[in-house]
Amino acid sequence: MAPAPPRHLLLLLPLLLLAAAPAGADDLVAELQSLRARSPSGVIHLTDTSVTRFLSAPASRRPYSVLLFFDAAALHSKPDLHLPQLRTEFALLAASFHDRNPGSGDLFFADIEFAESQHSFHQFGVNSLPHVRLIRPEHSTLAGSEQMDQSHFGRLADSMAEFVESRTGLEVGPIVRPPLLSRNQIILLGILFLISIPFAIKRVIEGETLLHDRRVWMAGALFVYFFSVSGGMYGIIRHTPMFLTDRSDPDKLVFFYQGSGMQLGAEGFAVGFLYTLVGLMIAGVTHLLVKVESLQTQRFAMMAVIAIGWWAVRKVIFLDNWKTGYSIHTFWPSSWRIWNHPH
Amino acid sequence: MAEPEVSSAASAGGWRLRNAFGGVLCAFTLLLIGVLAFSIRLFSVIKYESVIHEFDPYFNFRVTQFLSKNGIYEFWNWFDDRTWYPLGRVIGGTVYPGLTLTAGTIWWLLNSLNIPLSVETVCVFTAPIFSANASWATYLLTKEAKGTGAGLMAAAILAMVPSYISRSVAGSYDNEAVAIFALIFTFYLYVKTLNTGSLFYATLNALSYFYMVCSWGGYTFIINLIPMHVLLCIVTGRYSSRLYIAYAPLVILGTLLAALVPVVGFNAVMTSEHFASFLVFIILHVVALVYYIKGLLTPRLFKVAMTFVITVGLTYASKYIPIIASVSEHQPPTWPSYFMDINVLAFLIPAGIISCFLPLSDASSFMVLYLVTAVYFSGVMVRLMLVLAPAACILSGIALSAAFDVLTRSIKFQLSKLFDDSPAASGDSSPESSSAGTVNTNSTKSESRTEKSETAPKEKPSKKNRKKEKEVAESVPVRPKKEKRLLVLPFELSVMGILLLIVLGGFYVVHCVWAAAEAYSAPSIVLTSRNRDGLHVFDDFREAYGWLSHNTDVDDKVASWWDYGYQTTAMANRTVIVDNNTWNNTHIATVGTAMSSPEKAAWEIFNSLDVKYVLVVFGGLVGYPSDDINKFLWMVRIGGGVFPHIKEADYLRDGNYRVDAQATPTMLNCLMYKLCYYRFVETDGKGYDRVRGYEIGKKHFKLTHFEEVFTTHHWMVRIYKLKPQKNRVRGKLKKLKSNSKTSSTLAAGQKKNPWQ
Repeated sequence: MAPAPPRHLLLLLPLLLLAAAPAGADDLVAELQSLRARSPSGVIHLTDTSVTRFLSAPASRRPYSVLLFFDAAALHSKPDLHLPQLRTEFALLAASFHDRNPGSGDLFFADIEFAESQHSFHQFGVNSLPHVRLIRPEHSTLAGSEQMDQSHFGRLADSMAEFVESRTGLEVGPIVRPPLLSRNQIILLGILFLISIPFAIKRVIEGETLLHDRRVWMAGALFVYFFSVSGGMYGIIRHTPMFLTDRSDPDKLVFFYQGSGMQLGAEGFAVGFLYTLVGLMIAGVTHLLVKVESLQTQRFAMMAVIAIGWWAVRKVIFLDNWKTGYSIHTFWPSSWRIWNHPH
Repeated sequence: MAEPEVSSAASAGGWRLRNAFGGVLCAFTLLLIGVLAFSIRLFSVIKYESVIHEFDPYFNFRVTQFLSKNGIYEFWNWFDDRTWYPLGRVIGGTVYPGLTLTAGTIWWLLNSLNIPLSVETVCVFTAPIFSANASWATYLLTKEAKGTGAGLMAAAILAMVPSYISRSVAGSYDNEAVAIFALIFTFYLYVKTLNTGSLFYATLNALSYFYMVCSWGGYTFIINLIPMHVLLCIVTGRYSSRLYIAYAPLVILGTLLAALVPVVGFNAVMTSEHFASFLVFIILHVVALVYYIKGLLTPRLFKVAMTFVITVGLTYASKYIPIIASVSEHQPPTWPSYFMDINVLAFLIPAGIISCFLPLSDASSFMVLYLVTAVYFSGVMVRLMLVLAPAACILSGIALSAAFDVLTRSIKFQLSKLFDDSPAASGDSSPESSSAGTVNTNSTKSESRTEKSETAPKEKPSKKNRKKEKEVAESVPVRPKKEKRLLVLPFELSVMGILLLIVLGGFYVVHCVWAAAEAYSAPSIVLTSRNRDGLHVFDDFREAYGWLSHNTDVDDKVASWWDYGYQTTAMANRTVIVDNNTWNNTHIATVGTAMSSPEKAAWEIFNSLDVKYVLVVFGGLVGYPSDDINKFLWMVRIGGGVFPHIKEADYLRDGNYRVDAQATPTMLNCLMYKLCYYRFVETDGKGYDRVRGYEIGKKHFKLTHFEEVFTTHHWMVRIYKLKPQKNRVRGKLKKLKSNSKTSSTLAAGQKKNPWQ
């Protein structure tokens, strides 16, 4: 992120401008270009003063458009807003645009932080995040500028690029994403792979690979089972956090969410663990414990298994009833009934 | 089970008697399980009546009616002009015919036996009948893998697993009802072929696969799972000629047969879901060739070839992963869904997995693979819980059977020891249990070791033979080691363990009965609600469809949102514009646009489609939440997707669809609002909507282009008629009137309607 320019300079500039003849449009463009050059990603960091300077100027002296990203450091920790992710995507968009149009003076990318520029947030009328605005030359007031629709955040940088292209007519070009692994890492992995090939071939020929070990298959099967019944895929697909903080008491953590439509990561894994634990204990008694010689060990282990199993099953039933609100009840023949039950 | 030859003639006789008794008991138990599977699904019929429930089954019912009336050739060539007006729909080529043909055959068979059941009755009870079949198929499949005890246990569990009940209660006449049976039966025949190496079963397997392809689109699960298992067997060095016989005929015959089903056709060879099977088919041939050549080659050369095969297999697996990952748009379930749908089985499955690995056979490895893939897919998409259910039942059955085996053995042996101290007597009284009890770890281990050491056996002994060998091997060394302690657990804790397992099973039964009675047996066609006064029945849907069929012309077109299309065609026998088979998005968008347009524009759209009546479902009076106002956002979105002048933002206030005082003018002027809330204020004077929980925005208004013709008892369905076109010229109006009169009398003469 670009370091904010020295504040006294920024304060001074408007004064100078007022005193002297109004700065030409070219000056502003040149200034923005130099600010952009100083920022590694090409996103200019704006503050209240620079907003006044670059964006509140009359349209005749503002021949450029600015795409402004509203950021708030305090909200970066909220997982459902995805602010950090959107900010990186915004930087990618800026970088891709500059790759395509080097030295362009038509469109600038900028961001603004809530804590240091509350006044500007107010001026734009921004009260919820994520929020991106496009200020084009023909917009006379800040609040009149165009807000990027929620749907344009959907596919991240690509959909933002579509928005920019459709509104400004400028070409953004393909989004250039940094590769997942750098070139050196790929080379290193390649070398490691090449080295391991002879060893692997030797093992395969001897029939001693992991594929031939039943325990690996068993562990794998159990893990897939554990992961699926925990609702792990739910966590991955819906991006649910492991736990939440209590709204009324920020120090308290909420691990269990009431209501069957949603689950948190931790509660799923806890219940999945209980599911798997009971199963493993039954298997242990049936296949392992019978082979133990000592009667005392058998007795002790079985008591432990029965106690833990009883507790685990009860716990899951209790949690399920609590979470879903179902009350499971039996059905008896009506002639057995002494009193008239409402059912 | 084969009896060791060493036993004496007397004991052989006793054993035969016991075996016969066991067989009879087993058959009787299976019969009871069938009765259980059938009767647990009858709650909906007992609590409501013998009707078909949901939206889709009405279509299947209508197709079955057509089949039973016109015969199979007419059905095959059926072009349905009652739906998707004016496009129509080719039914014969676009449905999976398995369910329809099954029910049609049952109906035909019963009628030729002079049992005059209506088509509807047959359709209502098809799903419970096939649930009984499915539990028998589960018995067969589990028996192939782990013996009779596990088979019975698994069948009993499957008979009442909630996940399967949810799709197969009486009256839910959907493809899954027969497809799950076909799925399990296909797997049974595959495992049977794998165990016996018989071409007879391989052919049956292909036929069963054909039935599955006829029944449900989920057949792709089979044609991917079986190749995966074959590949697994090859990769872990378990190739045998039995594997070849189990797989190669299935691919060839199965694909040829699948291509015969019109809805599948050339998809069976041209789409990516089927490629895996062909790739494995090629690999299998390469491996078969390699094993054949192995006899001619030195061991070293052979091993190089093995490496090559494994690499190919791994590349295949890595290619396959993205296909699995791409399914992730679907609805993933949370952990309570598992507890709701498979209940305590979730606790037993891990034990079942471990049992399957001790010892690992071709059949048990198939079970584990089936479970793992099904549990993964169900984790991605909640609907596939249905495919998981049989696997969960089989593995739980195996686990419970193993646990009961150990615990009852402990009790039985130690009980007899309590009464009679002499070990010889106890040994004589239960020769089977003691020999089973002393199953020496060494013998099983050594067996598995021999299996491992012979990495590439030309032909492994079939399962039966191996069992025989094992028993012979065991019974010989066991006798002298009688004094060695038996594989048992402490007596009192075994009793407790059994009791707890029975309690667990009891809880499962209670849960399943509750789920069948309360959660899954509520038809959406008849609704009930309970309050202090007692039970209220809302039969408005059938009231409305009945009104349509009695008071409108046979050729009138009825427009409604697509959810009600199947029911309108099946119950009212009227032509609809769109229905639940959502194949034409533009057509649906046209109806959505009309519903979200102002009255005049909507009238023009509907008139251009020859629509005479518009049907809306409204829950505001009784608090029925899935009504058209709550579905309205989809009408706007789908309509706006094709016709851009419908903008969702025009209907939204603060991101919500509101119909109260804060609603947008567009919302208050759209056809859906007007048709739902027309005269609504007259009910209570305030216009309070019970679903949304507020008073509506615009209470008093008149309709200009539509007139109300029918509103059901609880206002849940409201039917409107399009007003005739207004004419500017008087003379023409008269002419038109007389024209329409003559035409209507003509039409009235053609149809037999006692109400007009």
